[in-house]
Amino acid sequence: MSTPAKGLVTGGIDDVRQVARGWRWGRRSQVPRSAEEFVLPAKSTVFPSDWSRRKPAIAAREVAQKGGLQPLFRSVSRTRVEGLDVLDRVEGPVIFVANHASHLDTPLILLSLPDEWRRRTAVAAAADYFFDTWWRAVGSSLFFNTFPIDRRGGTMAATPGEVLADGWSLVIFPEGTRSTDGWMGKFRMGAAFLAKEYGVPVVPVAHRGTFAAMPRGQGWPSKGRRQLTIRFGEPLVAGADESVRDFAPRIKDAVAALLDEDRSTWWEARKRVAAGAVPDPSGPQVAQWRRVWEQTESPEADAPTRRISAWRR
Amino acid sequence: MSRPGFVLDVDDRTPPLIVHEGLGFRLENFPLGTRVVYPPESLPAVPDVDQAIREALLHPQDMDPLPELLFAGMKLTIAFDDLSLPLPTMRAPDIRGRIIEHVLTMAADAGVDDVELIAANALHRRMTAAELKHIVGERVFRSFYPQGKLYNFDAEDRDNLSHLGTTEKGEDIEISKRAAESDLLVYVNVNLVAMDGGHKSVGIGLASYKSLRHHHNAKTMVQSRSFMDHKHSAMHHSAWRIGRVIKDTVKVFQIETTLNNDIFPKPYDFLQKREWEWSVKDQATMLGMRRGLSVAPAKLKHKMFHDLRSVYGLTGVNAGEVEAVHTKTLEKVHQQQLVEVQGQSDVLVMGIPYVGPYNVNSSLNPILATCMGLGYYFNSYLGQPVVRKGGAVILYHPLNEGFNQLHHPSYVDFYEEVLAESTDPAVVGEKYEQQFAEDPWYRHLYRTSHAYHGVHPFYMWYWAAHAMDHVDEVIWVGADRKVASRLGFRAASTLADALEMASGTVGTSPSITYLHNPPHLLAHVR
Repeated sequence: MSTPAKGLVTGGIDDVRQVARGWRWGRRSQVPRSAEEFVLPAKSTVFPSDWSRRKPAIAAREVAQKGGLQPLFRSVSRTRVEGLDVLDRVEGPVIFVANHASHLDTPLILLSLPDEWRRRTAVAAAADYFFDTWWRAVGSSLFFNTFPIDRRGGTMAATPGEVLADGWSLVIFPEGTRSTDGWMGKFRMGAAFLAKEYGVPVVPVAHRGTFAAMPRGQGWPSKGRRQLTIRFGEPLVAGADESVRDFAPRIKDAVAALLDEDRSTWWEARKRVAAGAVPDPSGPQVAQWRRVWEQTESPEADAPTRRISAWRR
Repeated sequence: MSRPGFVLDVDDRTPPLIVHEGLGFRLENFPLGTRVVYPPESLPAVPDVDQAIREALLHPQDMDPLPELLFAGMKLTIAFDDLSLPLPTMRAPDIRGRIIEHVLTMAADAGVDDVELIAANALHRRMTAAELKHIVGERVFRSFYPQGKLYNFDAEDRDNLSHLGTTEKGEDIEISKRAAESDLLVYVNVNLVAMDGGHKSVGIGLASYKSLRHHHNAKTMVQSRSFMDHKHSAMHHSAWRIGRVIKDTVKVFQIETTLNNDIFPKPYDFLQKREWEWSVKDQATMLGMRRGLSVAPAKLKHKMFHDLRSVYGLTGVNAGEVEAVHTKTLEKVHQQQLVEVQGQSDVLVMGIPYVGPYNVNSSLNPILATCMGLGYYFNSYLGQPVVRKGGAVILYHPLNEGFNQLHHPSYVDFYEEVLAESTDPAVVGEKYEQQFAEDPWYRHLYRTSHAYHGVHPFYMWYWAAHAMDHVDEVIWVGADRKVASRLGFRAASTLADALEMASGTVGTSPSITYLHNPPHLLAHVR
């Protein structure tokens, strides 16, 4: 190769490398901290997801989840699922309300559900994060049956109600975003509002270990098949006279009690609920590093590491 | 809504940043903590340019409306800024042409017959017919050029210069005789940066060497801090003194225009976006352009950049009495270009683009590159310089464009003979300026060809005098070492090397500020 041509190629490769690194190709672009206050509000380009709840997409998702997602998920984590029996006592659709600490939460919840529930469950996902590019929208809809919700505005988009009305159960993370330290944040009222509006029960879900396995900022689960635990609680139904404002904290308390139960036992947790002494799910008010430190430890499953395969999920 | 300018602190999230270097640009990874000054985004343009012009002419500042100043039998002269403004050249129609058309329409209505149009190029090169036509527009050109009523000012035409006396400080005032003897002199300017306009328009644009030498010298330039701030610029003080005398003799109707920062048209528009906001398309365009430039021959690169025409929007037009108009003009310029910067830094980094005021359709020779960096960009401040006294300046330019023999003949001798002896602006000025200014061959080329005046390279060197006096170290990144050495500077291959070289002056962990310029900015350093 002649020298200019060689220079063209090698210079080109260097340039591409520099741009790929500088503009984080394949990852989300970042704004320098000092420029954050000057960022223009993002244009709302939300890609539609209706197609993902039609039959061809459902079939494709079944293949993708069972053939791809599930084996992959099992290969990077160990899970312990408790409390699924509550689903026998409730008619769908329901709203699954869970704490949110990691991108692993969604596959954990979906893959923990019995197949007939999983196939009819959709996940509310931030429109500005999962539906800002076509490929992200398609990917997340196909694998996780996500649909967009606006987490910035006070009002929920029309879609969740429609999805619910179509007979789909929903997974909602009322915190609106993943926790930065693994502890539970404030709950917004969207889930309670939907449950009340559409008269569907709320199934509280608490899980632990996802933050330790793959916290915010990490692109892939940590090595060593970290332990994850997930626990489904008794369905909650909004009372006829109960306002959304009253119902929302009740959901949060139920998730907090489930977290407590997951850490200790059902009986101890019940006693603490009765005594009004459920540990604060938002964690102790100590130095930030101690909060993170505590959450970086994976929960120890109380069962032996290798459970009988028929019992494993 | 355009966003204000701001100072970026380079952090781990900051992508590489664009740095201009002549006929090209590079992506530079600045050290963490480097401050980068970004100009404000383009202000919205006035919606109806013709209406804005009419409004300005009919409701001028501290003067009667233009139609009332026009009468049959009068001598009307319209002077206008030459091709050194704006930069890059504006896409046709040029705003000066549009304004001149309005003025001429009013003059025709008033029955004015004796009209001449003069390009106020002072000691700049004569513009070609095509260049004049681009500025004034086809209609005006066709009506006046063939009759010899549209022409370049000739500062060496002794018969057509008029000495109006001296200022209280003994400064000669010698300007175009036609302008001096007119009943009304209308001056149409483009106030691209804060330095332009005001009394500088007539007092400098239509003046001869005899008049210019009083303020275009090393001593005045060192005291112009900066020449983007006319209240603190010795050069402007002199121009203002001269202008006030002119005002007593000639009725000047000043029309000043301000432009927004829309410098780079598509597909070059990524050059004025903030890098972290580049789309995939912007990144691809940049990569493609970088590759293209790396293999393109110099001529093609030159054509690519110099054929670029900016799509400026007009942000304001004001007319009337010079000083009143200029105050309004500066408000707009500051609104578009001013950025608040807290404190000075040890090192100032600047990328020199392909064009400056004196190489439109020409080449940016090493002297002009120095003038751009240490003259114009260094002086783009209010308050105090961006770099501390005794600090270092790092400039990007290859310094390899050579000299245009047609436009810059005296520059060659200045580079080969004068700079070989001394690079001190005061010393070279003292010893050689007169000789170059009065050289008959240079004078001949200035008058009959398209050459800058013989003394012009000295002026370029004086523009840089304040910077040379202020900083201890000037390093050119990516420059030809021999050329940098002739200029009295040093060359480095990379920014890291330049910082290493500067460490003797500013230490090993200096504070660094990079002026992300162009588009134009004016740092208000507190």
